[in-house]
Amino acid sequence: MQHEAIIGLEIHVELNCLTKMFCDCPNRPGDEPNRNTCPVCLWLPGALPRFSREALEKAAVACLALNCEIQKRSAFDQKVYYYPDLPKGYQLSQAHYPLARGGWLDVVDEKGAPKRLRIRHIHIEEDVAKLVHELEGRTPVSLVDFNRAGAPLVEIVTEPDIRSPYEAMEFIRNLRTQIRYVGSSECSMETGTMRVDANISIREQGSTAMNTKVEVKNMNSIRHLGDAIAYEIERQKASLQSGEAIVLHTRLWDPEKGVTLPMRGKFEGPCVPDPSVPEIVVSEEWIGRMRGLLPEMPALKTARFQRDYELPRELAVSLAGDRELSDYFEAVTRKSVAPRTAAHWLMTQYLPSLKERQLPIAGNPVTPDRFAGVLLRLEKDEINANAAREVLSRLFESDETPDAIIEQGGYRQVSDASSLETLVEQVLGSHPAAINDYRSGQGKALGFLIGQVMQASSGKANPRRVREILVSKLT
Amino acid sequence: MSGIFAYRDGGSVVSGEGLLKGSSISVQANMSVAGWPTEAGSLALKGFKAIEDATVVKSLRDQGASIVGSTRMSELGLGLCGDEAARAVAEGFSAIALVTEHLGEARLSAAKAGLIGYKPSYGLVSRHGLLGLIPSMETIGILARSAADIATVMAAASGRDERDFSMPVEEVPDFLNGSGQPGIRTLGWIRESAACLETDDRKAFQRCLEGFAKAGLTPVEKSMKEFDLFRTVHQIIGSVEASSSAGKYDGVRFGYRTPSAKNWNEMYLKTRGEIFGPVIKPFLFQGAYYQFMEYDVFEKACRLRSHLMREVQRLLGEVDALVMPAVRRGFDPFEAASVPALYDAFLFTLPANLTGLPAVCFPFDDGGQARCPGVQIIGSRLSDAGLLALAGERMQTTTKES
Ligand SMILES: [Zn+2]
Repeated sequence: MQHEAIIGLEIHVELNCLTKMFCDCPNRPGDEPNRNTCPVCLWLPGALPRFSREALEKAAVACLALNCEIQKRSAFDQKVYYYPDLPKGYQLSQAHYPLARGGWLDVVDEKGAPKRLRIRHIHIEEDVAKLVHELEGRTPVSLVDFNRAGAPLVEIVTEPDIRSPYEAMEFIRNLRTQIRYVGSSECSMETGTMRVDANISIREQGSTAMNTKVEVKNMNSIRHLGDAIAYEIERQKASLQSGEAIVLHTRLWDPEKGVTLPMRGKFEGPCVPDPSVPEIVVSEEWIGRMRGLLPEMPALKTARFQRDYELPRELAVSLAGDRELSDYFEAVTRKSVAPRTAAHWLMTQYLPSLKERQLPIAGNPVTPDRFAGVLLRLEKDEINANAAREVLSRLFESDETPDAIIEQGGYRQVSDASSLETLVEQVLGSHPAAINDYRSGQGKALGFLIGQVMQASSGKANPRRVREILVSKLT
Repeated sequence: MSGIFAYRDGGSVVSGEGLLKGSSISVQANMSVAGWPTEAGSLALKGFKAIEDATVVKSLRDQGASIVGSTRMSELGLGLCGDEAARAVAEGFSAIALVTEHLGEARLSAAKAGLIGYKPSYGLVSRHGLLGLIPSMETIGILARSAADIATVMAAASGRDERDFSMPVEEVPDFLNGSGQPGIRTLGWIRESAACLETDDRKAFQRCLEGFAKAGLTPVEKSMKEFDLFRTVHQIIGSVEASSSAGKYDGVRFGYRTPSAKNWNEMYLKTRGEIFGPVIKPFLFQGAYYQFMEYDVFEKACRLRSHLMREVQRLLGEVDALVMPAVRRGFDPFEAASVPALYDAFLFTLPANLTGLPAVCFPFDDGGQARCPGVQIIGSRLSDAGLLALAGERMQTTTKES
């Protein structure tokens, strides 16, 4: 019997707002514990929530980036549960009237076929406090850090359209690109600004039944998400084959052992309307304004890069997938560097250099201007590729201009005929065997001779001119 | 005098310039005054001190009032365990007393003491700093000797506060220069409400209506078949909201904590078991029951609430205001020691809390046959100034003739 997996995701994304969702406290959960607190986010008696406009706007542009429809009316509910991380007794969330409904993202499945995966809704909610379990002497104590209490989140709930771990991973990668693009969140599973839970069930191929699902949590990278889903699918298949019933429950991914393990039953509390935060009512005009805040999104930008810069698709996708990188690329082309040269050098030289030095695109010493300076000299044949790589490397360590580095470092390439001819004569004089090889039809010998001339010039000779001179002398 | 105040201001009472220059005001022990114990009549808040002034307290002080102390109150402000706030006024400790209204506490307290009690339109006075219980219904209520005093307090206390998001953006009534609208001419009385009175009370209410007629107003009989639903709907929604609001009372950061618990889970359970008294505890249980077990009943109650609001609005389209009794013989609010007894006692006042409408309750005595300890006028949203003006006129007549 062939089985297929039915997978839906619930994704919590922490919005990178300056303040918390219902007070003016800084939204910096990582600060010294309980530093960013006030009566509102400590949930003290007498304090009332004040909904932040910034949170609404950041949530709205994230919804639009995921092709969702913003609802004209949405409202907060109290999600009731009792736990030490929520001393108020309820979490403000949107259970009945979410901010947005009905979105989608396109992915390419493992067979290379395009597939549209639907999003059911996106709602806003406040984060709860963080529990820290420690030892005080030999007594275990649980401490509560309220820095995270009231931090703004959105929860994205997909339709059960996903059929494989691969599709789930592709969906999350695409979602991360989209949300990063509009600047609402970093969406990092590693640092916890994005948390992904997966609901998984299996059924016979061809069936339309929706069977009992199991929820899997605690994956802290996209790879773990894929691994956990794959494990859970196999576990459920094995259960079915041994005649065991699947029961509704939640499991935790154990990254060390690579397995999912059942966790203690979670109590699902009720959701009642909250009377203190009024209904969120937005106009068509406001939604239009939010849409206006969206940058050119990756799919459109990729198409434009292919069309206007004549880049191959793969290169266009890579550049357009990162907003800062694509901005950088376009800044370089505005300095009259050929787009293909700029794109190629960005991907093969510049990005690896950044990675090696652990530098960000924004704010590193090699600005688009300076990078363009190197590439322009390369295009004019004033330096060769070797020299360009070295100049780029030196730009990271010095604040000199590319021109100064080229002149002072003697990187300018030797192109004048008489100097090059002298070098070529020397090399030909000391390698008669290679001359014979070339003349007897071994093309390789030419490469060897060019290499020898380059070496003799300490890498500064113009390789194209060297080749021309060699060929003319040998024939 | 002992027993009236939960806390009295020990410092010299400073009174500044403004509308309320020289006015002394008592608050309740669930209204925040910076540094004062704010225990709301409950072990749940034992030792809790407010960090800053409630917006209403600040507004009153800004207009020159002195806050003399906080009066004792029922647990978390549900119902009335005694008449402390009314006594604070009647015995001259303060000219005005603030009382939290969930069911009609300010109005019934006034009715029992021969004072005027008022519940504003929902959202006219900020709830920031009020340790409330039923957020969609609760308001600051006011007790005083005269309608004019209440109007002056409202002129200072009403208006938008950016710290209470539930306040609608709207024009605040002009409390100092009257309603600015044509006065109240027609008063609708609901047949089904009068039917809840026993014979003597009903006769007194009828004579009251005749008194209004003599004073030039026109009583109009109206019918509202759903009248008995107010109580049920208030109880379901009120208890659900109270259950959420009281979720934070766990004895961890403030309040009483059980001395005997082996772990934190037991600490929560025992503490919550021990802190709540005999009226509030079953009320919270009811709310939790609807939340967890009968959510559809709660949803139905919410729909009925909208329906009741529309029905009252319909009546208020036909008459200028509604007139209702406030108290009934045999149902003493101070003696109400159970949830059903509470709802019996506040039967006539709770519709204004459920619908968010303004209401004023005052002693009616025209020197002749018409005598009623408390008669209640309920008006349209934001008709507060007009209601107070009418109450003022009627009471002035009373004083002149007596
Ligand atoms: Zn805060």
